Amino acid sequence: MFFHIVLERNMQLHPRHFGRDLREKLVSKLMKDVEGTCSGRHGFVVAITGIENVGKGLIRDGTGFVTFPVKYQCVVFRPFKGEILEAVVSMVNKMGFFAEAGPVQIFVSNHLIPDDMEFQSGDMPNYTTSDGSVKIQKDSEVRLKIIGTRVDATEIFCIGTIKDDFLGVISDPGTTS
Amino acid sequence: MSIEPFNKLVKLAARAFYDDITAKGDNQPKSGRSDNRGIAVVVLDALTRRQWVREEDLAKDLKLHLKQLRRTLRFFEEEKLVTRDHRKETAKGAKAYSAAVAATADNLPGRDGEEKIKLHTHSYCCLDYAQIHDVVRYRMQRMKKKLKDELDNKNTVQEYVCPKCGKRYNALDAIRLISFEDDSFHCESCNTELVAESDKLASQDIGDGDDNARRRRREKLRDLLQKMEAELKPLTDQLSRVKDLEAPDYGTLQAWELRASVVARASSSDPTGNDSNRSGQGGTPMPFLGETKVEVAFSGVEEKGEIKSENAPMKVLPPWMIKEGMNLTNEQRGVVKQESNMEGTSASMDMKDEKKLISQEDDAKNLQDEYVKAYYAAILQRQKEQEEATKREQDLSANSILTDVDPSSSRKRQRDDDGEDVEWEDTPTAGETFKVDLNVEAAELSGDEEDDDDGIDWEEG
Repeated sequence: MFFHIVLERNMQLHPRHFGRDLREKLVSKLMKDVEGTCSGRHGFVVAITGIENVGKGLIRDGTGFVTFPVKYQCVVFRPFKGEILEAVVSMVNKMGFFAEAGPVQIFVSNHLIPDDMEFQSGDMPNYTTSDGSVKIQKDSEVRLKIIGTRVDATEIFCIGTIKDDFLGVISDPGTTS
Repeated sequence: MSIEPFNKLVKLAARAFYDDITAKGDNQPKSGRSDNRGIAVVVLDALTRRQWVREEDLAKDLKLHLKQLRRTLRFFEEEKLVTRDHRKETAKGAKAYSAAVAATADNLPGRDGEEKIKLHTHSYCCLDYAQIHDVVRYRMQRMKKKLKDELDNKNTVQEYVCPKCGKRYNALDAIRLISFEDDSFHCESCNTELVAESDKLASQDIGDGDDNARRRRREKLRDLLQKMEAELKPLTDQLSRVKDLEAPDYGTLQAWELRASVVARASSSDPTGNDSNRSGQGGTPMPFLGETKVEVAFSGVEEKGEIKSENAPMKVLPPWMIKEGMNLTNEQRGVVKQESNMEGTSASMDMKDEKKLISQEDDAKNLQDEYVKAYYAAILQRQKEQEEATKREQDLSANSILTDVDPSSSRKRQRDDDGEDVEWEDTPTAGETFKVDLNVEAAELSGDEEDDDDGIDWEEG
């Protein structure tokens, strides 16, 4: 699920950036530092949408670096148990398959794949129904439901299922492109 | 008495879940002789027939070794079916318990002989019915949930185990376990390939999860679930029956002992108390509450009596007082008949009665006949006079009589219930013994208190 929230961060800026475009430098450094990171509490920071305010800088003794407390708005993405996501399959093996929904990695184990789909090993490992009409392989798009999340301080990993109504492959790379 | 359904619940649960529990530890060799499966059921059954019981006594009654019994009881304590209490006690404390037991459970034999207790730690145990109810429900809920979850693969996180070092992982670790050499999962510590752990409930003979195996496993699970539901049907029925009942609660050992000893004292001062005591004690802590309850009832009666006396001038008592008295003797029934004539009920019946009487006497002597006729005429005369008198009164009190119909019928009912109403009327004069009587009555008649109240109202009025 996506959220638009305000976060705060203390930015350290090198003295060489002090000048006319100090503020721009600060923002671009913030984006570089923050976007794409993951915190267990808020999820993945997808994008910074604006700066709320920049506080007074504090010069650190010895180094000359200045610390600015920056409040910024950003979009975060945090997966929840029970959430339905669309994801791209990144890897298939006999234990199941991995899929990615943006920054989140999801593992679907083979007992959470419908019973009528069987693993086919080979050059392009895949799960196929007995009549061959549905195939899950690398780069397939699947709709899945998250049934468990593992949230660390800097990492979120999910396990999902496609064994439910309206879940499974939503488009085959062979047919769409 | 609400204890019976609960006892049945305990017995059913014992047979369903604790049937093949052995009291022995695993380290002991298991020979045919020491196979004591089913002992748990025996112990639980025995406990349903008791309240708080000293474990030594229970062991003696069941002819079990004390250690064996203790082991079983400890197991039940862990299962939350039984509450236990341990205390160091002198001979006196043990006596207090013995007295309590003697007062309550006289179906336990061989109790009185053992007063040889020194300062020992004694353990007591008792069924905890309320908790048992919860435990059984929880257990069934868990069983069902586990099967169902596995059946539709809901909320199940696949587990993987390393065949070499036995280390376990689950699907949430998957991302760390992938090896980039062959796309399968490898143990973090010894790098052997992991195997998916097959479901615990669904059979070991089916190997890794090929498609056929999974289907078979599902069928097996479904069978299991159905079988469970069928076999536990009596238990679920009993649970639903018991659901709204209040579980019997014996309280802590101390509270129970106190209560039992109070009852014992009461019964010792009351000659007839023994029998009623037992019935009162069997299920509920009624005899204790009885005292206060009766007092409340009495204050209520007094209040009502006052109200009645205020009403008394308005209501004319004689008509129905007369009726009540005349029901008793045959001779005076004529008066009743007249009255009922007046009220227009059962007139023809009474007329027939009269005719029969007269015909019988016709067969007899004329003299008597004459006399009887004269007698009847005289009675009739007097009745008419009375009629007129009562008519006037009744016109006044017609309404009140009509309303009195209900209490009188309730009184009859009450009379059927208990013949010893006399005690109630005597009670105000008695001192100490009267209280005891009330206790006993309350214990006996706890079910129909409303009836009692009605009766009292009526008599006071």
